[in-house]
Amino acid sequence: MIEVHSLHKSFPSRSGAIVAVDGVSFVARDGEITGLLGPNGAGKTTTLRMLYTLMQPDAGRVLVDGRDPAADAGDVRRRLGVLPDARGLYKRLTARENIVYFGRLHGLDAAVMAARIERLAAALGMQDFMDRRTEGFSQGQRTKTAIARALVHDPRNVLLDEPTNGLDVMTTRGLRQFLRELRAEGRCVLLSSHIMQEVAALCDRIVVIAQGHVVAQGTPDELRTRTGESNLEDAFVKLIGSEEGLFA
Amino acid sequence: MSAWWVVLRKELLDAFRDRRMVIVALVVMPLAVPLILAGMSSLGTKRQVEKLERTLDLPVIGAEHAPNLMAWLEAQDVRGVAPPADPDRAVRSQELEVVLRIDATFGDDWRAGRPARLELIYDSSRPLQSGATIARIRGLLEAYDSQVGTLRLIARGIHPAVVQPLLVGSRDVATPESRFDLAQQMLPYLLLLLAFIGGMQLAIDATAGERERQSLEPLLATPATRAAIISGKILATAAFTLLSVLVTLVMYRLAFALVPAERVDMSLAVPVDALGLLLLVILPVVLLGATVLTALAAFARSHREAQGYLPLLIFLPMLPTLYLMVSPVKTQAWMLAVPFLGQNQLILRILRREPIGLAEWAISLGSGFMLVAIVWLLAARLYHREQLAASG
Repeated sequence: MIEVHSLHKSFPSRSGAIVAVDGVSFVARDGEITGLLGPNGAGKTTTLRMLYTLMQPDAGRVLVDGRDPAADAGDVRRRLGVLPDARGLYKRLTARENIVYFGRLHGLDAAVMAARIERLAAALGMQDFMDRRTEGFSQGQRTKTAIARALVHDPRNVLLDEPTNGLDVMTTRGLRQFLRELRAEGRCVLLSSHIMQEVAALCDRIVVIAQGHVVAQGTPDELRTRTGESNLEDAFVKLIGSEEGLFA
Repeated sequence: MSAWWVVLRKELLDAFRDRRMVIVALVVMPLAVPLILAGMSSLGTKRQVEKLERTLDLPVIGAEHAPNLMAWLEAQDVRGVAPPADPDRAVRSQELEVVLRIDATFGDDWRAGRPARLELIYDSSRPLQSGATIARIRGLLEAYDSQVGTLRLIARGIHPAVVQPLLVGSRDVATPESRFDLAQQMLPYLLLLLAFIGGMQLAIDATAGERERQSLEPLLATPATRAAIISGKILATAAFTLLSVLVTLVMYRLAFALVPAERVDMSLAVPVDALGLLLLVILPVVLLGATVLTALAAFARSHREAQGYLPLLIFLPMLPTLYLMVSPVKTQAWMLAVPFLGQNQLILRILRREPIGLAEWAISLGSGFMLVAIVWLLAARLYHREQLAASG
């Protein structure tokens, strides 16, 4: 479970501080898929980066399974599987070697890791390219490798920043199915997206973010009721206040 | 397994799969360095041998005034040849190394027992090119001078020792190993340069390259601490560089086996048992280079930006060599504590087979590793900065 309490983060720039995240609060529960929905530049990536301890919040608090990253960042990182927006692979290593590298950094022993890699490879459909060097991989193969790498340590909480970016339709369908399996296993899945169809198709709860604020959160039904729109897409546009950034 | 060890192993595996990096670091550099030096040295040795042994053609003006001198020189393998029209210009333009001019009054003066006049025309601003020839001619003329002088004294019933109040003997204490040639003077600089920036490619690839390929952010999301990650990268760079230096030294050793060193009584090769000592002297420089390169490259956004630092880094190990060229002083203790300068001195002393005291080792290695530790801590601190990963 991931709890976020009034996070704030701003970045210095020449024309004064830019506020990226301004009082974001939400809860992502175990056994649910929670979606962070917002236009580009709304603060989704920065919020996630504070969750996986890449950045320190200026104010506010994060709890992962009740633990505070400020107290023990290493413990929190062990509880998280992270697919960042930047998901580069080592091109001279095979897919398996890329995954094993991260498994070792998580302190897994070889036998446990081998079994887990087999499971992930089967679940993601990676058997064909597992032992090929990643140079020349398709976008889908790269994303699958990056996801397997992020989940090799069997984390209870899974964070994915724009997971379907650049994937074709079939790969996207497969990935959604995989995320539902993670949910069925009782994990807490938190993903960010600027594509409303994706969030609508996948998420149990939706947190709508615009300009660093949470403008609404709830189940898809709750959001429809609240805005009085029967169409989820219209509901989002109404919540965010403009269509800007949603169709990118 | 510690995180730094995992990172170290992965970076080395990654590096050894990069064929271009391996060829440059383990084949091209190790071959180029000794071949250039051996070539320089071999050429120098050959020319020196030739100059001392071959018959010398000496342009002489007025050879007809001193037939006996000419005959004597001929017996010493120096053959008089026709002089140029303008001897000064010929020497200055390097057409000729030296010209001998015999005065028209030479014969009269000689017979009258007055000092007969000779003149050597040469250019002292070119000691490397013509120094040996000039010294050879001057030595022969002096020998002739003293030979005839002695005969004249005996003819007048005076013991030659009367006009020889001093007898200066000389004893050269240089050992074959300490008699260097220019090529071997270059060795410390090349070794230190290789040790300092030899791991450049790996360091840049592991840091700036990692950012460029966008694999840094997921890496930082693992439980490995940033200090462990950067330490693994530094050690991988150092290990790779050390291997490159070792291969270079072995190649150097092999290359110098081909030089006809015995012909000039100089031992040019690195003794096999000194290889270990050389590596020990160089080790702090290897670590320092790996740390500095990793720290610099960690903050470059791309390969290209990181490579911009290269000229500066090449210049650093050059400074002590330049200093020693201008001021070739005896080793002082403080010098051993100065990075590059200290190592340069110790490398020269190992090659000259001079003993190095325990205290001197302690100063050199102690100060070297201390500097490495400081830069290392600095690099690890810098690596904790937020902008590092968030630039993507």
